[in-house]
Amino acid sequence: MIPNEDSMRALVGHRFPGGQYRIEHWENFLLSEATGAEPLPEQLAHPAHLFHVAINGVGTSISELFSLAESADGAPVSIDYYDWQISQPLREEQTYTLSGGITDFVRTSSDGAPTLDSFVYEVDLDDAGGARVATVAFRWHFWRVPAGGRDT
Amino acid sequence: MKVEVGHDIPPFRMEKVTPERMKTVAAIFRDPFPVHWDREATRAMGFKGRLLNQSPINLGYLINMLIAWAGPSCIRRIRTEFPRPVFDGDEVCAGGRVVALSQDQGETIAECELWLDRQDGVRNVTARAWVALPPDAS
Repeated sequence: MIPNEDSMRALVGHRFPGGQYRIEHWENFLLSEATGAEPLPEQLAHPAHLFHVAINGVGTSISELFSLAESADGAPVSIDYYDWQISQPLREEQTYTLSGGITDFVRTSSDGAPTLDSFVYEVDLDDAGGARVATVAFRWHFWRVPAGGRDT
Repeated sequence: MKVEVGHDIPPFRMEKVTPERMKTVAAIFRDPFPVHWDREATRAMGFKGRLLNQSPINLGYLINMLIAWAGPSCIRRIRTEFPRPVFDGDEVCAGGRVVALSQDQGETIAECELWLDRQDGVRNVTARAWVALPPDAS
Protein backbone atom coordinates (compact mmCIF):
# COMPACT_ATOMS: atom_id res chain seq x y z
CA MET A 1 0.00 0.00 0.00
CA ILE A 2 1.39 3.39 -0.99
CA PRO A 3 1.30 6.01 1.78
CA ASN A 4 -0.67 9.16 1.18
CA GLU A 5 1.54 11.67 -0.62
CA ASP A 6 0.34 14.63 1.42
CA SER A 7 1.14 12.87 4.67
CA MET A 8 4.63 12.12 3.42
CA ARG A 9 5.12 15.70 2.23
CA ALA A 10 3.97 16.92 5.64
CA LEU A 11 7.10 15.35 7.14
CA VAL A 12 9.20 18.11 5.60
CA GLY A 13 10.02 20.40 8.48
CA HIS A 14 9.85 17.59 11.02
CA ARG A 15 12.51 18.22 13.64
CA PHE A 16 14.21 15.44 15.53
CA PRO A 17 14.45 15.83 19.30
CA GLY A 18 18.14 16.72 19.20
CA GLY A 19 20.67 15.42 21.63
CA GLN A 20 24.29 14.70 22.36
CA TYR A 21 26.73 12.01 21.36
CA ARG A 22 30.15 11.01 22.65
CA ILE A 23 32.25 8.69 20.52
CA GLU A 24 33.82 6.16 22.85
CA HIS A 25 37.29 4.77 22.20
CA TRP A 26 35.98 1.24 21.81
CA GLU A 27 33.52 2.13 19.07
CA ASN A 28 36.10 4.19 17.23
CA PHE A 29 38.51 1.28 17.41
CA LEU A 30 35.91 -1.19 16.13
CA LEU A 31 34.51 1.01 13.38
CA SER A 32 37.99 1.90 12.15
CA GLU A 33 38.89 -1.78 12.06
CA ALA A 34 35.67 -2.55 10.18
CA THR A 35 36.76 -0.21 7.40
CA GLY A 36 40.15 -1.89 7.27
CA ALA A 37 41.99 0.98 8.95
CA GLU A 38 44.08 1.38 12.06
CA PRO A 39 42.69 3.87 14.60
CA LEU A 40 43.73 7.40 13.75
CA PRO A 41 46.32 9.22 15.89
CA GLU A 42 45.67 11.76 18.63
CA GLN A 43 42.20 10.44 19.46
CA LEU A 44 40.84 11.43 16.08
CA ALA A 45 37.68 9.49 15.26
CA HIS A 46 37.11 7.92 11.86
CA PRO A 47 34.88 10.18 9.73
CA ALA A 48 32.60 7.22 8.96
CA HIS A 49 31.16 7.83 12.43
CA LEU A 50 29.27 10.75 10.95
CA PHE A 51 26.59 8.35 9.70
CA HIS A 52 25.46 6.90 13.01
CA VAL A 53 26.45 9.81 15.22
CA ALA A 54 24.14 12.03 13.16
CA ILE A 55 21.20 9.62 13.29
CA ASN A 56 21.47 8.34 16.83
CA GLY A 57 22.81 11.57 18.29
CA VAL A 58 19.99 13.70 16.94
CA GLY A 59 17.52 11.55 18.79
CA THR A 60 16.20 9.31 16.09
CA SER A 61 17.19 5.90 14.73
CA ILE A 62 17.31 3.98 11.49
CA SER A 63 14.13 2.21 12.61
CA GLU A 64 12.32 5.48 13.23
CA LEU A 65 13.36 6.92 9.87
CA PHE A 66 11.88 3.87 8.14
CA SER A 67 8.78 4.11 10.31
CA LEU A 68 8.24 7.80 9.61
CA ALA A 69 8.40 7.03 5.91
CA GLU A 70 5.85 4.24 6.45
CA SER A 71 8.17 1.77 4.82
CA ALA A 72 6.49 -1.61 4.67
CA ASP A 73 8.35 -4.51 6.21
CA GLY A 74 10.66 -5.96 3.59
CA ALA A 75 10.17 -3.11 1.14
CA PRO A 76 13.39 -1.91 -0.45
CA VAL A 77 15.17 1.19 0.77
CA SER A 78 18.21 2.51 -1.01
CA ILE A 79 20.60 5.38 -0.56
CA ASP A 80 20.83 8.18 -3.04
CA TYR A 81 23.66 10.17 -1.48
CA TYR A 82 25.52 11.28 1.62
CA ASP A 83 26.90 14.81 1.66
CA TRP A 84 29.16 15.47 4.64
CA GLN A 85 30.73 18.87 5.23
CA ILE A 86 33.42 18.67 7.87
CA SER A 87 34.60 21.85 9.61
CA GLN A 88 36.58 20.13 12.36
CA PRO A 89 37.81 16.55 12.70
CA LEU A 90 35.80 14.25 14.96
CA ARG A 91 37.47 13.16 18.17
CA GLU A 92 36.94 10.41 20.68
CA GLU A 93 35.59 11.31 24.11
CA GLN A 94 34.22 14.67 22.97
CA THR A 95 30.57 15.46 23.48
CA TYR A 96 28.80 16.73 20.39
CA THR A 97 25.42 18.44 20.27
CA LEU A 98 23.18 17.57 17.35
CA SER A 99 20.15 19.16 15.76
CA GLY A 100 18.31 18.51 12.53
CA GLY A 101 15.30 17.24 10.70
CA ILE A 102 13.69 16.29 7.42
CA THR A 103 14.27 18.96 4.80
CA ASP A 104 12.90 17.66 1.51
CA PHE A 105 10.57 15.11 -0.01
CA VAL A 106 9.96 14.13 -3.61
CA ARG A 107 7.58 11.47 -4.95
CA THR A 108 8.40 10.07 -8.36
CA SER A 109 5.85 8.07 -10.28
CA SER A 110 5.93 6.86 -13.84
CA ASP A 111 4.13 4.23 -15.83
CA GLY A 112 5.56 0.79 -15.33
CA ALA A 113 7.91 1.78 -12.51
CA PRO A 114 7.34 1.57 -8.77
CA THR A 115 6.53 4.76 -6.90
CA LEU A 116 9.62 6.20 -5.28
CA ASP A 117 9.55 8.45 -2.22
CA SER A 118 12.81 10.29 -1.50
CA PHE A 119 13.53 12.08 1.76
CA VAL A 120 16.43 14.38 2.59
CA TYR A 121 17.65 14.53 6.20
CA GLU A 122 20.05 17.16 7.50
CA VAL A 123 21.84 17.16 10.84
CA ASP A 124 24.32 19.65 12.33
CA LEU A 125 27.01 18.64 14.81
CA ASP A 126 28.42 21.29 17.13
CA ASP A 127 31.17 21.04 19.70
CA ALA A 128 30.86 21.92 23.37
CA GLY A 129 31.63 25.55 22.58
CA GLY A 130 28.91 25.75 19.95
CA ALA A 131 31.25 25.74 16.97
CA ARG A 132 30.12 23.78 13.93
CA VAL A 133 31.93 20.46 13.52
CA ALA A 134 30.01 19.00 10.59
CA THR A 135 26.82 19.12 8.61
CA VAL A 136 25.52 15.77 7.49
CA ALA A 137 22.93 15.49 4.73
CA PHE A 138 21.65 12.30 3.24
CA ARG A 139 18.85 11.21 0.94
CA TRP A 140 17.17 7.84 1.11
CA HIS A 141 14.82 6.29 -1.43
CA PHE A 142 11.80 4.35 -0.22
CA TRP A 143 10.52 2.09 -2.98
CA ARG A 144 6.82 1.44 -2.71
CA VAL A 145 6.91 -2.17 -3.75
CA PRO A 146 6.00 -5.19 -1.63
CA ALA A 147 9.37 -6.94 -1.45
CA GLY A 148 13.04 -6.30 -1.97
CA GLY A 149 16.01 -5.32 0.12
CA ARG A 150 17.17 -2.64 2.45
CA ASP A 151 20.61 -1.19 2.21
CA THR A 152 21.58 1.20 4.92
CA MET B 1 54.38 15.09 -2.57
CA LYS B 2 53.57 17.57 -5.31
CA VAL B 3 49.92 17.50 -6.36
CA GLU B 4 48.61 18.77 -9.67
CA VAL B 5 45.35 18.36 -11.53
CA GLY B 6 45.24 14.83 -12.90
CA HIS B 7 47.17 13.41 -9.95
CA ASP B 8 46.09 9.83 -9.19
CA ILE B 9 45.46 9.13 -5.52
CA PRO B 10 47.10 5.90 -4.32
CA PRO B 11 44.32 3.30 -4.11
CA PHE B 12 42.94 1.56 -1.03
CA ARG B 13 42.07 -2.09 -1.44
CA MET B 14 39.76 -4.22 0.71
CA GLU B 15 40.65 -7.75 -0.30
CA LYS B 16 37.56 -9.35 1.20
CA VAL B 17 34.40 -7.82 2.60
CA THR B 18 33.50 -10.00 5.56
CA PRO B 19 30.24 -10.74 7.42
CA GLU B 20 32.01 -10.37 10.75
CA ARG B 21 32.77 -6.72 10.09
CA MET B 22 29.20 -6.09 8.94
CA LYS B 23 27.88 -7.54 12.19
CA THR B 24 30.17 -5.34 14.22
CA VAL B 25 29.04 -2.28 12.31
CA ALA B 26 25.36 -3.21 12.61
CA ALA B 27 25.80 -3.26 16.38
CA ILE B 28 27.63 0.07 16.46
CA PHE B 29 25.02 1.70 14.21
CA ARG B 30 22.13 0.07 16.09
CA ASP B 31 20.87 -1.03 12.69
CA PRO B 32 18.17 -3.67 13.17
CA PHE B 33 17.68 -4.54 9.51
CA PRO B 34 18.83 -7.98 8.55
CA VAL B 35 20.42 -7.45 5.14
CA HIS B 36 23.77 -7.02 6.89
CA TRP B 37 23.69 -10.15 9.05
CA ASP B 38 20.95 -12.68 8.16
CA ARG B 39 21.42 -14.77 5.01
CA GLU B 40 17.92 -16.21 5.19
CA ALA B 41 16.49 -12.72 5.19
CA THR B 42 18.58 -11.59 2.25
CA ARG B 43 17.62 -14.73 0.33
CA ALA B 44 13.96 -13.88 0.87
CA MET B 45 14.64 -10.35 -0.30
CA GLY B 46 16.17 -11.47 -3.57
CA PHE B 47 19.86 -11.08 -2.73
CA LYS B 48 20.57 -14.84 -2.98
CA GLY B 49 21.70 -15.07 0.60
CA ARG B 50 24.54 -12.60 0.22
CA LEU B 51 24.93 -9.93 2.88
CA LEU B 52 25.07 -6.26 1.91
CA ASN B 53 27.94 -4.19 3.20
CA GLN B 54 26.86 -1.01 4.99
CA SER B 55 27.17 2.03 2.75
CA PRO B 56 29.10 4.07 5.37
CA ILE B 57 31.71 1.31 5.34
CA ASN B 58 31.95 1.50 1.56
CA LEU B 59 32.41 5.22 2.06
CA GLY B 60 34.96 4.40 4.75
CA TYR B 61 37.19 2.74 2.16
CA LEU B 62 37.24 6.00 0.20
CA ILE B 63 37.98 7.92 3.38
CA ASN B 64 40.86 5.58 4.24
CA MET B 65 42.37 6.25 0.84
CA LEU B 66 42.14 10.02 1.33
CA ILE B 67 43.56 9.90 4.85
CA ALA B 68 46.51 7.76 3.78
CA TRP B 69 47.17 10.26 1.00
CA ALA B 70 46.64 13.66 2.63
CA GLY B 71 46.47 13.13 6.39
CA PRO B 72 44.01 12.19 9.12
CA SER B 73 42.02 15.43 9.17
CA CYS B 74 42.19 16.33 5.48
CA ILE B 75 38.55 15.92 4.40
CA ARG B 76 36.53 19.13 4.16
CA ARG B 77 33.58 17.72 2.26
CA ILE B 78 32.65 14.41 0.69
CA ARG B 79 29.54 13.71 -1.35
CA THR B 80 28.93 10.07 -2.14
CA GLU B 81 26.46 8.14 -4.26
CA PHE B 82 25.84 4.41 -4.11
CA PRO B 83 24.58 3.05 -7.41
CA ARG B 84 25.23 -0.62 -6.59
CA PRO B 85 25.63 -2.66 -3.40
CA VAL B 86 28.80 -4.34 -2.19
CA PHE B 87 28.33 -7.91 -0.92
CA ASP B 88 30.20 -10.13 1.48
CA GLY B 89 33.06 -11.87 -0.27
CA ASP B 90 33.59 -9.01 -2.69
CA GLU B 91 37.01 -7.52 -3.25
CA VAL B 92 36.80 -3.76 -3.75
CA CYS B 93 39.31 -1.10 -4.56
CA ALA B 94 38.96 2.64 -3.90
CA GLY B 95 40.53 5.00 -6.38
CA GLY B 96 40.57 8.70 -7.08
CA ARG B 97 41.95 11.55 -9.12
CA VAL B 98 42.44 15.28 -8.53
CA VAL B 99 40.23 17.29 -10.87
CA ALA B 100 40.77 20.84 -9.56
CA LEU B 101 42.85 22.84 -7.11
CA SER B 102 41.80 25.97 -5.26
CA GLN B 103 42.65 28.10 -2.25
CA ASP B 104 40.33 28.49 0.72
CA GLN B 105 41.17 30.20 4.00
CA GLY B 106 44.87 29.60 3.56
CA GLU B 107 44.50 25.97 2.55
CA THR B 108 45.04 24.34 -0.81
CA ILE B 109 41.95 22.31 -1.56
CA ALA B 110 42.06 19.41 -3.99
CA GLU B 111 38.74 18.56 -5.54
CA CYS B 112 38.78 14.86 -6.26
CA GLU B 113 36.70 12.35 -8.17
CA LEU B 114 36.50 9.09 -6.26
CA TRP B 115 35.20 5.62 -6.97
CA LEU B 116 34.92 2.18 -5.45
CA ASP B 117 35.16 -0.67 -7.95
CA ARG B 118 34.44 -4.35 -7.44
CA GLN B 119 36.91 -7.00 -8.60
CA ASP B 120 34.94 -7.51 -11.83
CA GLY B 121 35.16 -3.84 -12.69
CA VAL B 122 31.65 -2.88 -11.61
CA ARG B 123 31.60 0.60 -10.11
CA ASN B 124 29.69 0.43 -6.81
CA VAL B 125 30.29 3.88 -5.35
CA THR B 126 31.10 7.28 -6.80
CA ALA B 127 32.03 10.40 -4.87
CA ARG B 128 33.46 13.86 -5.03
CA ALA B 129 35.65 15.09 -2.19
CA TRP B 130 37.28 18.34 -1.24
CA VAL B 131 40.55 17.64 0.55
CA ALA B 132 42.94 20.01 2.30
CA LEU B 133 46.43 19.20 1.10
CA PRO B 134 49.48 19.18 3.36
CA PRO B 135 51.75 22.22 2.91
CA ASP B 136 54.37 20.28 0.97
CA ALA B 137 51.83 19.21 -1.64
CA SER B 138 51.03 22.56 -3.17
